[in-house]
Amino acid sequence: MGSNRLDSSARFQRNSTQGRRAWLRWLPAVAAPVAIASGALIGSLPAGASNPLPAKSPAEVLELAAGHHVQTFSGTVERSAELGLPELPATGKPSAAASPGSVASVIELLSGKHTARLYVDGKDNARVQVMDQLAERDVVRHGSDVWFYSSKDNTAAHLTLPAHTEDPADAKDHAPSNDTQTTPGLHTPAELAQQFLTKVGPSTAVSVGPDVSVAGRAAYNLLIEPRTDATLVSKVAIAVDGENGMPLSVQVTARGADKPAFTSEFTSLSLDAPDPSVFTFTPPPGGTVKELPVPDRSHEPADAHDPGAKHAQAKGNVAVTGTGWETVVGTEHGSAAAAEQMLQDPLLSQAAVAVPGGRLLSTALLNVLITDDGRIFAGMVPPERLQAAAATAR
Amino acid sequence: MTAGLAIETRGLSKHFGQQAAVDHVDLAVPHGTVFGFLGPNGSGKTTTIRMLLGLAAASAGTVNLLGREMPDKLHEVLPRVGALVEGPAFYPFLSGAANLHRLDSASPHTVPATRKARVQQALERVGLEHAAGKRVHAYSLGMKQRLGIANALLSPRDLLVLDEPTNGLDPQGTREVRNLVRSLAHQGTTVFVSSHLLAEVDQMCTHAAVMSAGKLVAQGPLAELRQAGSTRLRLVTPDAGAARQVLAGLGLAPAPGEPDAAQPQAAQPERIDVPGRPAVPEPQRARLDGETIVATLGTGSGQRAVLPEDVVAQLVQAGVRVRGFAVERESLEDRFVALTGEGFDVAQ
Amino acid sequence: MLVSVPLFMPLAVGVVAGDTIAGEANLGTLRYLLVAPAGRVRLLLVKYAGALAFCIVAPLTVGLAGAAIGAVLFPVGPVTLLSGGVVQPAEAALRIVLIAAYLAVSLAGLSAIGLFLSTLTVVPVGAMAATVVVSVVSQVADQLPQLEWLHPWLFSHYWLGFGDMLRQPLVWDSFASNALLQAGYVAVFGALAYGRFVTKDILS
Repeated sequence: MGSNRLDSSARFQRNSTQGRRAWLRWLPAVAAPVAIASGALIGSLPAGASNPLPAKSPAEVLELAAGHHVQTFSGTVERSAELGLPELPATGKPSAAASPGSVASVIELLSGKHTARLYVDGKDNARVQVMDQLAERDVVRHGSDVWFYSSKDNTAAHLTLPAHTEDPADAKDHAPSNDTQTTPGLHTPAELAQQFLTKVGPSTAVSVGPDVSVAGRAAYNLLIEPRTDATLVSKVAIAVDGENGMPLSVQVTARGADKPAFTSEFTSLSLDAPDPSVFTFTPPPGGTVKELPVPDRSHEPADAHDPGAKHAQAKGNVAVTGTGWETVVGTEHGSAAAAEQMLQDPLLSQAAVAVPGGRLLSTALLNVLITDDGRIFAGMVPPERLQAAAATAR
Repeated sequence: MTAGLAIETRGLSKHFGQQAAVDHVDLAVPHGTVFGFLGPNGSGKTTTIRMLLGLAAASAGTVNLLGREMPDKLHEVLPRVGALVEGPAFYPFLSGAANLHRLDSASPHTVPATRKARVQQALERVGLEHAAGKRVHAYSLGMKQRLGIANALLSPRDLLVLDEPTNGLDPQGTREVRNLVRSLAHQGTTVFVSSHLLAEVDQMCTHAAVMSAGKLVAQGPLAELRQAGSTRLRLVTPDAGAARQVLAGLGLAPAPGEPDAAQPQAAQPERIDVPGRPAVPEPQRARLDGETIVATLGTGSGQRAVLPEDVVAQLVQAGVRVRGFAVERESLEDRFVALTGEGFDVAQ
Repeated sequence: MLVSVPLFMPLAVGVVAGDTIAGEANLGTLRYLLVAPAGRVRLLLVKYAGALAFCIVAPLTVGLAGAAIGAVLFPVGPVTLLSGGVVQPAEAALRIVLIAAYLAVSLAGLSAIGLFLSTLTVVPVGAMAATVVVSVVSQVADQLPQLEWLHPWLFSHYWLGFGDMLRQPLVWDSFASNALLQAGYVAVFGALAYGRFVTKDILS
């Protein structure tokens, strides 16, 4: 009996050790996800202000941003937009739908996520690579030569700039209308920031939030809030590099949303001069090469980022009403036929809803009104504003 | 045999859900024996073997193989153990020899240099040298079984665990396996053979254990097991009352009469006679008839105090007319049926 | 490459990885390997190494075969990259090898998933099918905008990023992100496969 009890107690011990061993063997399976999760968590935590930037007033940050003169850098810009546009099938995929010039290609660049690499060296050398999945769109400027290249259809276009062009960013604005699909994706955060900074006026509240870290660089977080209800924009956050004042990211939040509808930011940035070889471009064999005429400056799009404006530019003279945040860009003339033609585009006709006086293409940050008589009005304003502008312009 | 146990389990149990497939099994397999592991299909033999070899984890209890704790010392023990578990399994698209090569190279403990010779030797031992280059795909069941045994013999082993080794073998094959096992045992290898074939165990083994419904119901040397069954005496007498007294006086417990049970054996010759000779007079039969008394002489091992001759002497002394007296020992088969219950497919 | 990456490669890897353990278990040879004794961890590692070797060889074969067929059918000449630059055949061969390496890394995670699934069953077809289904589900989920928060965690997220190996200058970001992601998958599912296989009762 005694030995029996001993046996059973030994057995009990044995059982518990076996149980523990089985448990130990599952330990890595538990530890691995935990390690990854904690790693991801630590990675996502905002980098502690180990080296806090000297405090600056909003005005000083504005000045810092305005005065930046970084002209040599390379980096990767990630841009994402959730404007509430209809999702394209297979966004970001090489698809026939996004053929050059179609509305789809514009929407494609305006929505979803895009990554581009920028190489800028001085005023005369710049290259932008919009990296699509298994495809790439390039704009290369080397001296007075500007090349546009799309790997999807292996087409290249060449442009010789007139000598007076100063700003390398200008080169991009010379994108010919049939290549505009490259244009909207090409704005650097700095250029975008510039557009918003110009709107800063009495109707804008400017403040500086806690420092942020963008592309590993400490930056001031400049917060711009329009003080008017007559805009769709509720807040713009611009990260201004604490060292050189270069805007590193722009986040635009729409009214009534808590997450930015539009973000453009550097994910990596180097201030070293890029390898000169990236600025040389020879059109690949087998592709089509088009020589573009030197653009007429008067036909330059007012805001290439704004598809309405582009079409406006194509259809007639541009009328600007309102100022600052309330700016509405519209065409003075139009034809019903043109509007009809535009609405033929399946995507546009699907996205646009009928409103009194025309059809409205509504997004979180931008509204476009195509009136029944073919005029187009666009702005970062509520639809009523567009309708009013259309009515007064008549 | 004094050198300890080749296989020792303590309270070995395996539960699948609520069901206990193996329930507190205490196996003790001495070194150098040919140990028969008997039991009906589904009695837990193969599950026990899986636990012995570390294929399945025990729900409770310990396993000692060749003096080492399993599965902790699996890598020390298993190289010394050859096994055939639940039928042979090979890659059908490889030749017999290639299969053995692959399995041999799976172990980091084998010597690659001698592999070829060892494979050749193992194949020869099971008589497969001519089919070595054939794909296993084309092997018959018996050939696969042989190949499985060859795999168990790839290296010199201290212990062989053979699960149903003669399954699918022709009579010659069965005999060869039997001889092989004997010769291996002769060389000192402990052989643990599971089987549901009684005759096989009877002929090969020195020791045996019997499993039934997950429990170990008997184990020991075969001779002992044969004796372990109860020995009964069967007495036919007209003087039942006196006989009972005598038996009781000998301490043989109550001696219950079992006329019905006794009938077939005791009366069988006459029964056969009846249809053949219907004219046999009634009285003659009545004279041979008497009350049948059955008494258990002794169960188990040691407590066999009363010898049959003493019983007879006492009976005669008491004037009991003894018309029939027999000492019945259970056959091994009876013993196993008794241990494992009906449904034990001995005939197979 | 474009068709093979989302479809054929995962299919092939699913078959190979799903068969690793379940195939042996199905044949019954698993018990003999373990009794040999091969050692469970060792067997698992060898099996995974085998699957990885397949992941390396398969894209390389596809890439080089494609290049060879191309070289037979068309004159060998400079190859145009996505960035519009051209490279000489030698450099192009290097790029193909880089793509193959990228794909090999891409498939490492799926192999680990297949290995784990393979330890769960004795029916190899089940493990293969499950692995392929997982890869399809992952790719579909990667397309759903509603699941955007999940996208960077999907093992197929960077699969089509091998185009970055065709840019000038080379982009290593996606290669690095992909490698990190796949390493995570290998760690998690490798650990799961270990936990499962080492504690598993081999009953086949």
